[in-house]
Amino acid sequence: MERAGTCLSAHNNLIIMNIKHTYLFVLLLLLAQAAGAQIVVSGRVTGADGEALIGATVAVKEGKGAVTDIEGHYQLTAPSPETELVFTYIGMRPRTEIVGDRRTIDVVLEENNALIDEVVVVGYGSQKRSNISGAVSTVTASEISETPVLRVEQALQGRTAGVQVTQNSGSPGSPLTVRVRGTGTINNSDPLYIVDGIPVDGLDFLNPNDIETINVLKDAASAAIYGSRGANGVVLITTRTGKKNQDGKIAYDAYFGIQSAWKKANLMNAREYAILSNEAHVAAGQAPLPEFSNPELLGNGTDWLDAIFGDAPMTSHQLSLTGGGDKSTYTVSGNYFDQEGIVGGDKSGFRRYTARINGTNAVKKWLNVGTNLGLTNLSRRFLPENNEFTTPLVRALNMDPVTPIRKSDGTYAYSRYSDTDIINPVNAIEQTYDRWKSNRIVGALFGDLMLAPGLQFRSSYSVDATFATRNIFYPTFDLSSDPVLSDAPAGEKRAINSVVLQHNNWSTWQWENVLTWDHQFGESHHLTLTGGTTALENRYEYSGGANSNLPSNDPDDAYISNTIDPITAQSAYGGADESSLLSVFGRANYVLREKYLFSAALRADGSSRFGPNNRYGYFPSVSAGWILSEEDFWHSKVLEYLKIRASWGQNGNDRIGNYGFTSVVLSGQNYTFGPDQIITNGSVPLTVSNPDLRWETITQTDLGFDATFLNGRLTWTSDFYIKNTSGMLYAAPIPLTVGANPPIRNIASVKNTGWETDLNYRQRVGAFKYSIGGNFSMVKNEVTGLGEGGEPVYAGRVQSANASVTKTEVGQTIGAFYGYVTDGLFQSREEIAAHAFQNEATAPGDIRFMDLNNDGVVNNDDQTYIGNPIPDFTYGINADVEWKGIDLGIFLQGAYGNEIYNATVRYDFTYVNRPVSVLNRWTGPGTSNSEPRVSLSDPNQNARVSDRFVEDGSYLRLKNVQLGYSLPKTVLKRIGFEKFRVYASAQNMFTFTKYTGMDPEIGSYGGALEAGIDRGFYPQARVLLGGINVIF
Amino acid sequence: MVAGILLTSVACNKDFLDRKPLVGATEENFYRNEADAIAAVNAAYAPLQFEISPAGHFRWIWGDIMSDDAIKGGSGDNDAAELLQLETFKVQANNENVESEWSADYEGIYRANVVLEKVPPIVMDEQVKARLLGEARFIRAWFFYNLVTMYGGVPLADHVLAPSEYNLPRASEAEVWTLIEADLREAANVLPLRSEYPTADLGRITKGTAQSLLVKSLVWQKRWSEAQALAEEVINSNQYQLEPNYAKIFTLEGENGPESIFEIQYMNRSGGNWGKNNANEGSFTNVFQRPRGQFEGYGFNIPTADFVQEFFKEGFEDPRLKSTVFRVGDAMGDRGIFTKEATGGFPYDYYPKKYFSNKSEDATLGDPNPNGGTNDRVIRLSDVLLLHAEAAFHNNNEDAARQSINRVRARARGTVQNVLPDVTATGSALLEAIYHERRVELGLEGHRFFDLVRTGRATQVLSPLGFNEGVHKLFPIPLSQIQATNGAIQQNPGY
Repeated sequence: MERAGTCLSAHNNLIIMNIKHTYLFVLLLLLAQAAGAQIVVSGRVTGADGEALIGATVAVKEGKGAVTDIEGHYQLTAPSPETELVFTYIGMRPRTEIVGDRRTIDVVLEENNALIDEVVVVGYGSQKRSNISGAVSTVTASEISETPVLRVEQALQGRTAGVQVTQNSGSPGSPLTVRVRGTGTINNSDPLYIVDGIPVDGLDFLNPNDIETINVLKDAASAAIYGSRGANGVVLITTRTGKKNQDGKIAYDAYFGIQSAWKKANLMNAREYAILSNEAHVAAGQAPLPEFSNPELLGNGTDWLDAIFGDAPMTSHQLSLTGGGDKSTYTVSGNYFDQEGIVGGDKSGFRRYTARINGTNAVKKWLNVGTNLGLTNLSRRFLPENNEFTTPLVRALNMDPVTPIRKSDGTYAYSRYSDTDIINPVNAIEQTYDRWKSNRIVGALFGDLMLAPGLQFRSSYSVDATFATRNIFYPTFDLSSDPVLSDAPAGEKRAINSVVLQHNNWSTWQWENVLTWDHQFGESHHLTLTGGTTALENRYEYSGGANSNLPSNDPDDAYISNTIDPITAQSAYGGADESSLLSVFGRANYVLREKYLFSAALRADGSSRFGPNNRYGYFPSVSAGWILSEEDFWHSKVLEYLKIRASWGQNGNDRIGNYGFTSVVLSGQNYTFGPDQIITNGSVPLTVSNPDLRWETITQTDLGFDATFLNGRLTWTSDFYIKNTSGMLYAAPIPLTVGANPPIRNIASVKNTGWETDLNYRQRVGAFKYSIGGNFSMVKNEVTGLGEGGEPVYAGRVQSANASVTKTEVGQTIGAFYGYVTDGLFQSREEIAAHAFQNEATAPGDIRFMDLNNDGVVNNDDQTYIGNPIPDFTYGINADVEWKGIDLGIFLQGAYGNEIYNATVRYDFTYVNRPVSVLNRWTGPGTSNSEPRVSLSDPNQNARVSDRFVEDGSYLRLKNVQLGYSLPKTVLKRIGFEKFRVYASAQNMFTFTKYTGMDPEIGSYGGALEAGIDRGFYPQARVLLGGINVIF
Repeated sequence: MVAGILLTSVACNKDFLDRKPLVGATEENFYRNEADAIAAVNAAYAPLQFEISPAGHFRWIWGDIMSDDAIKGGSGDNDAAELLQLETFKVQANNENVESEWSADYEGIYRANVVLEKVPPIVMDEQVKARLLGEARFIRAWFFYNLVTMYGGVPLADHVLAPSEYNLPRASEAEVWTLIEADLREAANVLPLRSEYPTADLGRITKGTAQSLLVKSLVWQKRWSEAQALAEEVINSNQYQLEPNYAKIFTLEGENGPESIFEIQYMNRSGGNWGKNNANEGSFTNVFQRPRGQFEGYGFNIPTADFVQEFFKEGFEDPRLKSTVFRVGDAMGDRGIFTKEATGGFPYDYYPKKYFSNKSEDATLGDPNPNGGTNDRVIRLSDVLLLHAEAAFHNNNEDAARQSINRVRARARGTVQNVLPDVTATGSALLEAIYHERRVELGLEGHRFFDLVRTGRATQVLSPLGFNEGVHKLFPIPLSQIQATNGAIQQNPGY
C-alpha cells in the first residue's frame, strides 16, 4: 500500500465518496417506495403510415411496462394519473404521454431520420449524439448485417469516413489492416478494440451477427479516455442484448454462398513461352532448346492459375434468442461459420463456432448485475501467403506453362525450366498441412450500483483467454521422374518428414471501476462526471516441439512421439511474456442550455511496457461544441440542426513491445580457450537499453460540424484534423563509438492531416423508401522527424530486384516507393552511346533510365520517389431502396490515388512465365518503347526498382449488391412470424481498376514501411450467396 | 467499494508494473555471480575475432598489403576493390574495411567497459575478479592501441557511453596513449603469469601479454628506456622461450607455443564464423590467403618480389623464407604442388605460408571456408626481443641490442650451416640490421606497415607505392562516423 498515495489517490477519494453516498441514497431509495392507485391503460401504436408497430416498447416510470403485440396493441398498469408513458421503437422518435384520465392511448410514432437523439457509446459511458463534441462514427447492426462477412473489420470497410480498412489477403480468416485517420506510426498503427468494455487483440473470434453497434472514436479528445492506448483510434463494439419487457424472440439467419476468383492474371501460354525462350537463347548466342523447336505443337499448355483456383463454399447459420422481463434481459446466440478458400480448396479455410450469452438482472432496485460472455472455437488451415517465395500464387504466376500438372503416369510433374524456387504449386498445396485451432473465452461480469438518482457505480471484471494450437506436418514426397537419379530439385522432394506442434496461451484479466454522476441543475446546466480505475494484466505463454523421421506419412498420425528415432530428433522450446497496466481516468461533460457543450478528460496510465524512467503517462483532452440551431437567432427551416465542434487531445500508443526498455544479455558471444580449444560462452547486452522508453504520443486537433437538413432527411458530418505523432519509436543509427546496437528511442515523428465527410439522405414517398449515403476521407501523411541526423529508412525488399522498394525520410510519406525513372527503351547503339552510362553490356531494347543528376552515369544517385501506397482519398457509397417488402442494397467502396508496386513476377529468374504484356517486347528498332528485349541475362538491370513496376492502384469496387424480399405483416400474422425475409447477394461483383495484378486491394504484411507492395497477395473472392432471416 | 479497496491493494503493489523479461537474462538480473562475470569477459574477447564484419579488417590488410611486403591479390582488381584503395594509398573516407576496423575496435572497447562497470560490484572470489578486470583492461587497451596507431587521437570511450555522450569528439593521441598505458600497467599488476593460469585457460591474457603490449606502446612513443626495461622484464620472466624450430611456430602444433605471448584463438570445429555476433569460432584468414584453383582459396595477400629479396640480402637464403612464403614448385601441405596452373592460372610467383592450413585440418562441420582454425600470432617473444634490441640501441646500449637480435638469429639459424651469423655491426648499421631482422622474422604477420610508419621510414619505402607522409601515416576516420556525430568527430588531414 505504500504507493497508494501517489498512484491512486484520486481513486481513494472516489471510494470514500462512494461509501458516504451509499448509505444516504439507499436510505432515500427505500423511503421513495410508495403505493398508489392502479390504472389500466391500453392502446395501439402505429407508424405514420398506419401500419402497426410490433414490439414497440411502452415504458412506465416506476412500474411494469409493456411491449406491443403483433397488431400494435398494448396494455399495462400505471401507478397513478401522473404516470409518464414513454413509447419507443427503433428508428422512431420516442414519444412521452402523461396518462391523466385517459384509459386508451393510441400513439403514432414518427420516423426519426436524423438519429440525433441516438445514444452513442463513448467509452466508460454513453452520450446523446447531439451532445457529443468529439468525432465519433457509428456503424449499426443493420449496416453490419447487410453484407454477410466473416470478420468484423470487413463490416467497417467503406462504412464510415476516416476509417480505412484494407484486406491483406483473401485467404479465409486473414486479418485486415484498419487505420483510423491515417498511418499514425511506422510501428503498430492498429486501433484499440474494446468489445463490451473488454480490450481484445484481434477480432476473428467475434461473430459479426452478434454486434449491435460499432462506434469509432476518431479524434484525440474522444479517445483520450483510453490514454496510452488510444493513439490510433478506438473501436468500441457493443454486442446485442435483449430489452426489458420485450417478448422473447427467436431469430434464425442463414446463408450459403459460392466464392470464385473475380480475376486471373493473363499469362503467356506454352506456345508463347517457347517462342520467347527461343528468342532469348538466340539473343544470348545460344541454341534454342530442342523441345521448343516447334512452339505451335505445345499449344496452350498448363494454366497454373486455373490449376490452383477453384470455387469454394461459405456457410453461416445463426440462431439467437432475445428477450427481457421487467427485471432482466437476455440474449443467447449460437453461430456456425465455415469458409473454404478459393486457392487450394480445403487446404485453406476458416471454421468458427461461437456462442454468446449476454444478460442483465436487477437484483435490487439499486443493484443491477450482468454478464457478457462469448465463447469461440475456430480453426484455420493455411497456405503460405504474401511472400515471393513459397506462396501457391507466386508459383502459379511464375511456373512455366509447358510443364504439365501431372505426368502421364498420374504423378505430379516438376518444371525443368522455371527455376528451382518455382515448384509445382498443385503438389505444394497438397503437401501442406498447417492448422491453427483455438478456443477463446471473452467474458465480463459487472455490477451497477445505483447509489442515488444520477449516481452510478460500476465494477466489472473481465477475462480474455485464448488457448491455441498450431500443428504443421511436412510429409515426404518426391517428384523425381527417376527415383534412382532423384532428379527433382530440392523443393520438389522431401526425404524426411517432420511435425511441429506449438501451444500458445494468451490470457488477460481486467478490473475496472467507474463512478458516474449525471445531474441536471435547473433548466440550463447538465453535468456528467465520470471517474474510474483500470487494472489489467496480460500473459502469453508458448511451448512447442518438433520431431522428424515419422514412420507414417499420414498427417493424422503426425504426433511428435510417433517417430523412428524419438531421442535425437526432438526439439522443444517455450517461453512467456507479460505486461500490466494500471490507470486512473476522469471525464467531465457539461451542457449549457442544450447548446453549449464542453468536455474534458484526463487519463493517467502506468504501464509495465514503459521504461522505469517514464512509467506513468498523462493524457489530457478538451473539446467544445456549439449547437447554433438552438440559438434564438436561428430561423432556418431547411438547416434545422447545426453543431460546430472543436477538440484537442493527446493519446498514446503503448504497442511498443513488452520489454523494449531493457536490453537482453545475449549469450553466444563465445571465445575458445585451452589446448583443446573449448568453446566458452560469453554474454553481453548487444543493444543499448533505454530506460526512458515510453509511449508514442499523438496530439490531435479536430474541427468539425454535424448538420441536419430537411426535417432530418439529410445529415452531413464533416471533420478536419491535424494529427501529429511524436516520440515515434525508431532505432536510429548511433555512432559506432558506442560499441553496441542502437536502442529503440522515442525520436521520430509523423504528421497526418485529413479531411473527412459523411453525407446521408433518406426519403419516403408513400410505400417507397430509399436512402443514399456516402463517405469520403482524405489524408496526407508526412514524416516530420527521424531523430538526430534523420537517416532515411529503406524497407520493402523485393526479390525480383534484390533491393528495397520504399524509402522513408523526413518530408515524405511513410513507405514511399523509391527507385529509378524509366525513359523508354534504347532503340539503337547510338542512343546508348548518347545517353548516360548504364552498363557495359547495355544493348538496344534495354530500358533507358533517367540520369536525374546529369552526371553522365546512371547510378544510385539517380533514384527518386516514384509512387506512394497511401491513397489520396478513400470513399464508400451505399444506397438502399425498400418498396412493399422488397429491399435492394448497393454498396460501393474505393480508393483513389495510391500506387502499387507489382513485384509478383520473379525477374530474378530467367525462365519464369510472364504476363502476356511481355509479348509486346522489343525485337528491333521501333518495335516497342516500353517492354524491353528478352534475354537470358539482365546486364542492364531492367528489373531494378523503377517506375516500370509502379502501377495505379486506384479502384472502385461494387462490394455488395443485395436483393431481398420480406413477407408482408398480414401474412406474417397468419403464420405467427415477426419477420421472414429471403435475399440474394453478390459481393465483389465488379471492380474497376487499372491495376494489372490479381487484386488492387492489398494491404501490407510488413507494416507501414512496406505497404502497397504486391508480392502475390491472395485475391479476394467474388461471392454469390443466398440467405434467409426469420424471426418469430 | 470492497472491489475498489481490493483494487487499490493489488494495484499499488509495487511490483505490479515492474516486469522483466521472463526468458533470457537482462542487465538487471545478470552480473550476479562469478560465472556471469566470466561470461562477460569472454564476450569481450569475442571481438578479437571480428575479422570480417561487415567487411574484412584483418591485421594483414594494414600490416602487409599496405606495405612493400605484399599486394592485394584476389581474382582481379574488382575482387575486394576497396583493398586496392588501401594497397595503392588511394583510400577514401568511406572505405568499408577502414570503417569495419573502427567498428570492431569500439565494439571490443564497449564490451570491456561493460566488464569494468558490471563486474566490480559482484560478490565473488576477489582474485578471480581482479584477473577478469585485468583481462578487460588489456582488451580495451588492445583496441585503443589499434585505433591510435591507425587513426591517431580517437574518441576516448573509457566507459559505456550515455546517450548524451554519443557525439564524443576525438581526444588527442597523448590522451589515448595515457589510457592505454594506465590500463596495461593495471592489467600487468593484477594478471597472472602465463604459468599461473590453469591449462584450460590457455589463450587468456597474461601479465606478459599486458607488459608486451605496453612495450610496443612505449616503443611507438619512442620512450626507449622504459621500453627496454619493461622488455627485459618480459624476456627474463621465464614465461617465454623461443621455439627452437621456427617452422613449427606456424603449424597447428605450434599454436600457443612457448614463445606465444598474444594469440587470437580460432578453431575449425564450430560451423563457420560468419562475422560478428556469431557463436562460431573459425577464421577467414586461411581461405583468404590460400591460392585459388585447386587450393580452394581466394588468393589474397600476395608477397612481393621485394619482400622475398629481403631474405637473400645477406648473401644466403634466410631459412625463414621457406616458412614464410610458398614458391612455385613447393608442396602446399596436403593440397598439392604449387604450380601457376594449379592456382587457376594467376601470375603470382609467391603465396603467403604462415596462415596456410592443410586440407586435413579443414572443418568437418559446416562451411570450411570461414572455418579456418589457425590462430593469429599477434605478439611473439621474438617481436619483444627485437623491440628490446631497438630500444637498447636508442639507449646507446648496443651490447644488449646485439644480444637480443642474435638470440632471434640463432634460433632462426637452428642447425643450418653458414647462414645468419651473429650481428656484430654498430651504430646505424646495427639499427639497419634490427630493421632487417624484423622484416624477415615477423614477415607477413601484420607488422611491416606500422614498423615503417613508427620508425619514420614509410616515406622512403612506400612513396613509390603512393604513400604521402602528410596523409597516409594515419587512416581516414570513417565518413559515416563524421556524419553520425554531425561533425563532432573531425577528419584526419588529407582525406
